[in-house]
Amino acid sequence: MNTRHLPEILGATVLLLASGALAFFGQPGLEQKWELLAPKYEPLLAERTVYIDPAELLHQMNDDYIHLVIYDVRPESDWNEFHLVDSERIAIENFAAQRDRLRLLPENAVVVVVSNDEILATRAWKYLMTVAKSNAYILEGGLNLWLNIYGVAEEEAGSHGKASLGKPDGTLRHPFKLALGDRHAAAQPDEHHLPHREYTAKVKLLKKIAKAGGCD
Amino acid sequence: MAPFDLVALFGNEGSYLIYLAIGFAFGFILESSGFGDSRLLAAQFYFRKLSVLKVMFTAIVVAMILIFWSTALGWLDYDEIWVKPTYLWPGIAGGLIMGMGFILGGYCPGTSLVSVATLKLDGLFFFLGHITGIIIFGETVEFISTFWNSGYLGFFTLPELFNLETGIVVFLVTCMALAMFAGFEWLHSKIYGNTK
Amino acid sequence: MNELAEKVKYWNPYLGGVLLGVLLFLSFFVTSHGLGASGGVNRLAVAVEDLVVPEHVDKTPYIAKMAGGDRDPLAHWLVWEVAGIMLGGFVSGLLRGRVKVQTYHGPQISSHTRWAYAFVGGALMGYGARLARGCTSGQALSGGAVLSVGSWVFMFAVFAGGYGLAWFVRRLWQPEA
Repeated sequence: MNTRHLPEILGATVLLLASGALAFFGQPGLEQKWELLAPKYEPLLAERTVYIDPAELLHQMNDDYIHLVIYDVRPESDWNEFHLVDSERIAIENFAAQRDRLRLLPENAVVVVVSNDEILATRAWKYLMTVAKSNAYILEGGLNLWLNIYGVAEEEAGSHGKASLGKPDGTLRHPFKLALGDRHAAAQPDEHHLPHREYTAKVKLLKKIAKAGGCD
Repeated sequence: MAPFDLVALFGNEGSYLIYLAIGFAFGFILESSGFGDSRLLAAQFYFRKLSVLKVMFTAIVVAMILIFWSTALGWLDYDEIWVKPTYLWPGIAGGLIMGMGFILGGYCPGTSLVSVATLKLDGLFFFLGHITGIIIFGETVEFISTFWNSGYLGFFTLPELFNLETGIVVFLVTCMALAMFAGFEWLHSKIYGNTK
Repeated sequence: MNELAEKVKYWNPYLGGVLLGVLLFLSFFVTSHGLGASGGVNRLAVAVEDLVVPEHVDKTPYIAKMAGGDRDPLAHWLVWEVAGIMLGGFVSGLLRGRVKVQTYHGPQISSHTRWAYAFVGGALMGYGARLARGCTSGQALSGGAVLSVGSWVFMFAVFAGGYGLAWFVRRLWQPEA
C-alpha cells in the first residue's frame, strides 16, 4: 500500500464522512428556525412591542419618507369587501417567496401585517420573521378596530356598523353593504380631517449596517 | 447564535482589529503556501503545480462543511451570513476576464498583496495595474450599466438551483472536489511524469 | 531568479487549504462576512481619487456611494483586512527569508517583460473583479463556501479564462520546450 498518500486519503475520508453525515442530519426547517429565534422574538409579542395602533399605521401611510409594505393575510372574500389602500394580499405560505425582497428592503422600510383581529397577523408575523428578519409590525386590533375608528357614518355608501372587539374570532365583523375593496373611504382615511387619536409610537427604523461580502 | 454584531460588542476600533487579525492570518497562510510567487500560481494553468486548485477547493470544502454543520446544529444563523446576490452575465464576463488577467499577470488581487508585502516587483506592477483597472471600471461602468445589472437572480444557492437538500449538495460538492484533485493529479503525472 | 525551485519550502497545499478553510469558516462565524481583497483595494483607489479629484468622485454614482461627500471610503472593514493581508504576508515572508526585492518571471522572458504583463494582467483583474462584483477571495472562496450559484459560475469562468489563454502565453511561464 502506497503510504505516501496516507494523510491525503485520510483527509479525503474525513471530508466525505463529514459531508455525508450532514446530508442525513439536515438543515433547520422553519419550525426549528423559529425555535432558535423565539427567545428574541416571543418577548416582542408578549410585551406588545410590535403591535402598532391604527393611528400609527395611518401616520406611516402618510409618511413619504417611509417605504411601507402592508401585508394583508386574510382570505380573498374579506379582501374584496375591504382592504387598505396599497396593501398586498398574501397567503402565509407565500412569505417564503418574499425572502429576497425582504432582505433587500431599504433602510427606511416598515413592514406591517394586518388581519381582521390580530390572530392571523401574529401567526403571519412569526412566519415572516423566520423567513427574513424584517422591521415588521402587526396592526393592533386588526381591521375590525381600524374600521371602528375610521369607518364612515351610517348614511354613506359602503357603510357599516361598529364591530365588537370583545371576542376576536378572526372574522371581519363589519357588515359591508358593498364589497368595495380599497375604494371605501376608510381604506385611506384623511389624517388631517380626523380627530387626533393618541397612541404610543412603536415603529423604529432599523439602521442597516451596509452588508457587503468581500470585494464589493 | 453566531454571527455577532461586532460593532455592538467591540466598538468600531475593536471590530477593525478583528478584521485586521483575519487578514493577517489570510496573508500568512497565502504566503506560507507560496502564493506570493507568480510562477507557482501560473503553473496551475499548465498543470505543473496544482497548489491553486488544491488550496482553493480544499478551503471551500472545509469551510462549507464547517458552516453547514454549524447551521444544522443551530450555532450559526445562515440567514445572517452574507451570500452574494447572483448577477449571472457580469459574473461570467468578469470571471473570464479575471482568468485571462490571472495567466497574464500571474496573480489575483489577494495574492498580489502578499507579493507586494514581500517586495516583489512584479507584484508591485500588478498592484498598480489593478488600481488602474479599478479606476477604468469606475469611469466606464455607467456605459455598461444595463449589462452590469443583468442576469440578476437574487440570493441564489446551488440547493435551490438543483432543488436538492443542502446537505446533499454539500456532499456532492465534496465528492466533486475530491474527484478534481484526483483527476488533476493524474493529469499532472501524465504530462510531467512523477515529479512533484 | 527565474527557476521555480524544486525543493518545496512552501506548505503542503492541502494543509494550506484546510487552514484557509477553517479561517474562512471563522470569518463567517464571527463577522458574518467571508474573506475579501479586491474590495479593499477598490476603496484604496477611491480614497486616492477622492484626494485628487473630489468633485469628480461626488458626481460619479459608482464611486460616490463609497466616497461622495463626507463618506470616508477607508472606514470599512475590507480596508483593514487588506492591511492585515499585507502584514501577514510580510511576516510570513520575513520568517522564511523570502522578503527580497526581486521579480518572479518565467525562464524565457526578462524582468521588464514580466513587469509589463503584470501591469496588464493586473488591470484586467481590477476591471474584471469590479465587473464580477468580487474576486477569487470574495466571490470564489467565500461565495463558493456558502453555495452561491453566481460564485460557482464565476469560479469556473476564471479557470476557463486562465486555461483558455494559457497555451497562447506559455512563453511567459514555461521553460523552453
